[in-house]
Amino acid sequence: MQHCTPEQLALAALREPLPDADAAHLEECAACRAEVASLRRGVEALAVPQLAAPGAAVPPPPRVWDAIAAATGVSAVPHQDAAPAAAAPSVPPPAEPEVGTVLPFRSRRRGWLAAAAAVAVGAVIGAGAVAIVQREDDGGEQVTAIALDPLAGNDASGRAEIVRRDDGSRVVQLELDAPQLDDAYYELWLIDRDVVGMVPLGIAQAGSNTYELPDGLELGRFPLVDVSVEPLDGNPEHSGVSVCRGELET
Amino acid sequence: MSGAVALRRPVIGSVVRVDPVPTSRSAVDPDDAEVGRRFAAGEEQALAWAYERWAGQVHGMAVRAFGPGPDAEDVTQQVFVAAWTGRARFRPDESPLPAWLVGICRHKIADAWARRDKQRREAEAALTEAQARPGGPVTAGVDTAATDRVLLLDELDHLGQPQRGIIELAFFEDLTHAQIAERTGLPLGTVKSHIRRTLERLRTRLEVDGAALHA
Repeated sequence: MQHCTPEQLALAALREPLPDADAAHLEECAACRAEVASLRRGVEALAVPQLAAPGAAVPPPPRVWDAIAAATGVSAVPHQDAAPAAAAPSVPPPAEPEVGTVLPFRSRRRGWLAAAAAVAVGAVIGAGAVAIVQREDDGGEQVTAIALDPLAGNDASGRAEIVRRDDGSRVVQLELDAPQLDDAYYELWLIDRDVVGMVPLGIAQAGSNTYELPDGLELGRFPLVDVSVEPLDGNPEHSGVSVCRGELET
Repeated sequence: MSGAVALRRPVIGSVVRVDPVPTSRSAVDPDDAEVGRRFAAGEEQALAWAYERWAGQVHGMAVRAFGPGPDAEDVTQQVFVAAWTGRARFRPDESPLPAWLVGICRHKIADAWARRDKQRREAEAALTEAQARPGGPVTAGVDTAATDRVLLLDELDHLGQPQRGIIELAFFEDLTHAQIAERTGLPLGTVKSHIRRTLERLRTRLEVDGAALHA
């Protein structure tokens, strides 16, 4: 078998999946693997969550502007909460970064992401996925139930049940135990194992939530059940900040 | 060229405007592009506007890297001071001001990591020396990642478009080459070959300067 092309090795350094034949070759070929490793050093230095595109905004305290004004000699003053004089009332507390674990995971590639997901999920597979097919009180049968474990550094958790109703439709019942958010909300997602494909199921509140599943949606393709914190920015994508997660056994 | 223009959209899109009290902005306040032009021209009010609009994003990044507190506040302060004093290097026609601020923020975060790392090494080296005199040259463990980052961010600054936009989408927006092609409108093959050449260039930079720095 031929060596992988230089372009494919670069993609492998970015942890993109290669076509099967190339992936198989890479497995076996020390020269190609060494090339990937040498290209990956740059990827690993820079493609880290701390340097990723900005996530949730956190208004700095007024003294930051004071220091900037002092250092630059600029006498213009920003309005609103950034201004020293108008500091107090409208400043939202910098809640999001403390609530959420930052997992910028809009894709399938990252080793650290896979590792983080594996850690979050490992306990669930062992302990959580239990009841298969139980009769529910309100009609329908519970297909499966899993625990949503908190991701590092926050105390949100929950439980998700997939219920098949008598008419054949399916719903997700989410019990979410999570703190109230200012200027942000929770959202429930089904995510594939590569963390590329995501199905947004909707806004989640602390307490009980029910979501209709689209007919024909293959749960096996989207086994990660994920609750994110979304800023009120109108961006429909996952914010990358997840507070709890579990994996459906498929 | 259309590729470079198209590349800017995702960068702008990723920077969420910080405006918790929209009504407080007066009707005469300029749009973001105008703020960028006036910033480049050295108009002091533009620094205040930039701070109003993007300090939350910048500080959010700093808090994500260091947690809330003095370290994050230092970084935020440094970003705006460096942007202002270095405004001659800002090209409002090539990149939006918030994207430029975010780029500076990456440098400041990486610099802070490298400084911490150096202090830690010096402390360890001093300890080693005190304990093990006389000895050969002290070779405390080096966190090469911290110094690599500083070098590589600098190398990114030297990339032209569309290479820079492409690699930033891969590194910082976590997009696949196919997603990058879709976002930018560039052909798949072009995206792949730019990624390849940029990763090679970063590798070369590490081999040349990285080796010298760690020697």
